[in-house]
Amino acid sequence: MQLNPSEISDLIKKKIENFDTHLEAHTEGTVVSVTDGIVRVHGLSEAMQGEMLEFPGGSYGMALNLERDSVGVVMLGAYQHITEGDTVKCTGRILEVPVGEALLGRVVDALGNPIDGKGAIETTLSSPIEKIAPGVIARQSVDQPVQIGLKAIDSMIPVGRGQRELIIGDRQTGKTAIAVDAIINQKGTGIKCIYVAIGQKRSSIANVVRKLEEHGAMAHTIIVVASASESAALQFIAPYTGCSMGEYFRDNGEDALIIYDDLTKQAWAYRQISLLLRRPPGREAYPGDVFYIHSRLLERAARINAVEVEKLTNGRVKGKTGSLTALPIIETQGGDVSAFVPTNVISITDGQIFLETGLFNSGIRPAVNAGLSVSRVGGAAQTKIIKKLGGGVRLDLAQFRELAAFAQFASDLDESTRKQIERGQRVTELMKQNQYAPLSVAEMSVSLYAANTGFLDNLEVKKVRDFESALLSFMKTDEAALMAKINEKGDFNDEIKDGIHNAIERFIKTSSW
Amino acid sequence: MAELLTLARPYAEAAFKRAKETATIQEWAEALKFLSVLAEDRDLLTIVDNPRVGKDNIARLLLDICQDNISTEAKNLVRLLIANGKLSLLPKISALYEEHRAEDEGYVNVDLFSAYPLTKAEQNKYSAMLEKQLHKKVNAVVTVDKALLGGILAKAGDKVIDGSIRGQIHQLAKRL
Repeated sequence: MQLNPSEISDLIKKKIENFDTHLEAHTEGTVVSVTDGIVRVHGLSEAMQGEMLEFPGGSYGMALNLERDSVGVVMLGAYQHITEGDTVKCTGRILEVPVGEALLGRVVDALGNPIDGKGAIETTLSSPIEKIAPGVIARQSVDQPVQIGLKAIDSMIPVGRGQRELIIGDRQTGKTAIAVDAIINQKGTGIKCIYVAIGQKRSSIANVVRKLEEHGAMAHTIIVVASASESAALQFIAPYTGCSMGEYFRDNGEDALIIYDDLTKQAWAYRQISLLLRRPPGREAYPGDVFYIHSRLLERAARINAVEVEKLTNGRVKGKTGSLTALPIIETQGGDVSAFVPTNVISITDGQIFLETGLFNSGIRPAVNAGLSVSRVGGAAQTKIIKKLGGGVRLDLAQFRELAAFAQFASDLDESTRKQIERGQRVTELMKQNQYAPLSVAEMSVSLYAANTGFLDNLEVKKVRDFESALLSFMKTDEAALMAKINEKGDFNDEIKDGIHNAIERFIKTSSW
Repeated sequence: MAELLTLARPYAEAAFKRAKETATIQEWAEALKFLSVLAEDRDLLTIVDNPRVGKDNIARLLLDICQDNISTEAKNLVRLLIANGKLSLLPKISALYEEHRAEDEGYVNVDLFSAYPLTKAEQNKYSAMLEKQLHKKVNAVVTVDKALLGGILAKAGDKVIDGSIRGQIHQLAKRL
């Protein structure tokens, strides 16, 4: 929007006309000390926990420690210009961020300010960053799927709308890759995505944004950034900011998916703040409430029923449930899941996707460990056809793992064991999938069906992926109607089964892989 | 600063309670004011802070200066503070004592800043307004501050009521 000078002065005139002068009453305090982003303020007897405090020079802080004579404030943004004796004002507001549809396609910082150079965000709505999660009465059980688009996950560790599914693994095991694939796969499904980057390099964030743009996934995505160079306070609040933006969609009867990448760094930031505020350190020097920062955050990811949506929208939206699905990411050190923060988050979430360095390096990507990964509620939400066909895959892999040790002495094995091992090898191969190439329900079903019915058993292991990609492109061109039908309903009946079976047989006759 | 206040609080509370019991609130207030002026005296501080000077000597010196200006009980407070090495708390104790007193007597000390000197009538008008707002009797001290440009600004403790032109310009600047 381009304004000429006369319009600007008109606008200002109008604002001045409408400006009502009222007596401003507030509580004031004086800065006593400034250390590493923590400011101690004397006075402010009426400050609230988590209240925004106004400092000179237009900077803001958040009151975290309320003591008898002073308030411990953590600065949001620059604090270098603050000196002892500065006056601090109470604003009477808890920290709020802008929310709404206008944020989609934008990159914002932890306070909701745009940082993508695309101008101001046109929204009048705002929401406090800390809110209490929906109560028991407001909730509904998880029974609709979120398709991640990865065979290994959708078939074995399904995620439902409103579920919290942890992605856990060492560095460089493809945690972010899964998250990005999940966002790309939501294109056209109506699920809005929020990607919260905490304590990451700006270059990695720029990469994610570029990849999402390339795959046309930015239009339904909000990216919240608190990079490694930003203050610990901003890294601490970024997940809550993203959560509030996601809750807007949930409360308006829509579905949203939020990814916290990653909560380990948020816990580090909180540890830093807490230690500087001189709160007593506990295990691994984390403060006593490090469990609560994650539990209250993840509890806000939920599915709420139509009655609640109607109530929250004042009757504007009727008969629609809302959901916020969370995919928190935790980075482990040397595969140690029994460290403090990983165990906490594992116990809070409804299951975890466990990624392993060993698998990753041996070329199994996504490096999902099918044995340790679980989804506690996703089974109820799985698409019928995937549920039917995915069960076999899970079983094959479980049996394969038991027998894998024998695989080296394959010559001495009896027929059935050898068959199981061979099936396992082929299924493992089939579970590999390229990045940025999520599959639709129909494509996944065809692949799983081929594995279950033994079409892969006569192939060389190396040929499995070529076979799959050729089969899928064959299905796309020759069986478009059948594929569309599966994608639409997701049912599994004899008609569909025969359809897939015959199609695969016809494809094998072409031997074009 | 905050920590000193915390340390001074029990002393101030004790002094005030004792003063109330013995109905010597005014005397105690004067004694504490006198003592806090003493405690901030530069020459005296060099002696007090000198580790070579024993506590007994400091006590004798201080009490000599006080002579009959303060009551025996106030002198005992001085001895106690010297024994505990907390003589520097005296100004804080005095300030906290005043707070206790104001609260007890149901009035608040208000600093009234005005851009122009106030007439007696205006001052009374503002005091009445503030009394209504704060639900307490107001003890106003007026200071002229040209930087306000116009209007008045009242400060009661950490509560600020800003009716100045400067405050309104700031508000306007924020809105724009």
